[in-house]
Amino acid sequence: MVSDKIAVIGDRDTVTGFRMVGVSQSAVPKTPGQIQESLMRFFRDPSMGLILITEPLAEQIEDTILELSAAPVPVILLIPNRDGTTGTYEIVLRELIRKAVGIEINI
Amino acid sequence: MSDILPGTKTTRMELLSLRKRKKLAERGHDLLKEKRDSLIMEFFNAIAEIKETREHVETALKDAFSSLTQAKMIMGPARVVEFAYASRVEANLNISTRLIMGVRVPVLSVEQHFPKIPYSLPDSSTKLDTMSEKFAEALKAIVRLAEIESTVKRLALEIERTKRRVSALETIVIPRLERTAQYVKLALEEREREDFYRIKMVKEQISDEL
Repeated sequence: MVSDKIAVIGDRDTVTGFRMVGVSQSAVPKTPGQIQESLMRFFRDPSMGLILITEPLAEQIEDTILELSAAPVPVILLIPNRDGTTGTYEIVLRELIRKAVGIEINI
Repeated sequence: MSDILPGTKTTRMELLSLRKRKKLAERGHDLLKEKRDSLIMEFFNAIAEIKETREHVETALKDAFSSLTQAKMIMGPARVVEFAYASRVEANLNISTRLIMGVRVPVLSVEQHFPKIPYSLPDSSTKLDTMSEKFAEALKAIVRLAEIESTVKRLALEIERTKRRVSALETIVIPRLERTAQYVKLALEEREREDFYRIKMVKEQISDEL
């Protein structure tokens, strides 16, 4: 059993909420460059187990997320922000299905 | 000729071992095909599960955000943020692995430590308590989702690898073995005919001399 950290990248509300329940690493980036930079920082941390990122932010750096998602650890997970889901999480899944089965299937 | 395995000797022993290798390759091919099929089945089960858990996460987060808004209304946004950053609740992620059909998949669980008094009670409202409860619940659901998602990811990777192996066996290894065996067989037959003819010639020469 390895104890790992959880990080959250998102808007102020999301970060506040998760900070409340013990997610110790957080970032509130504004520009795509900052999002990328904080994602990479968490990603490089060897004790990181799970990175949560809100969908609107993930949308802006879609390519990086797809690329980093190929690594098994840390797990990068898109979560809806306070306005509900936008369906961005499907891009990661769809890419996986395309690779595994060879055709695109709507889920 | 280019399909023939390099360094093959045209002997009967070689032919036998080639046939044995071909049989082995065919068996491996069948097994891998079965593995691929059941991996794909497992994969789609996991995808269905993702959808379900996704919905669960969404409702949990929605609840959490609405209680966050309530807490903000009562305590003021700045105070809520202040409390959140000072919160002494700890969340640790435990990662272990289990095996699905020879694929190592992670099992995640979150360990949350709630101290008796996580923050100053007189200065906070009960709304803050509900909010922290709701977020803790959402976090649990999210961790579960992360587990399934990374399971799917690894399954997809394994499916890809298995597919590549299956098609490598099917289109390269087995045909090549087949053709090499054929080549050896033909060469052996040719040599047999040569021998036969040589013996005939010798026999004729001997009978002429007599």
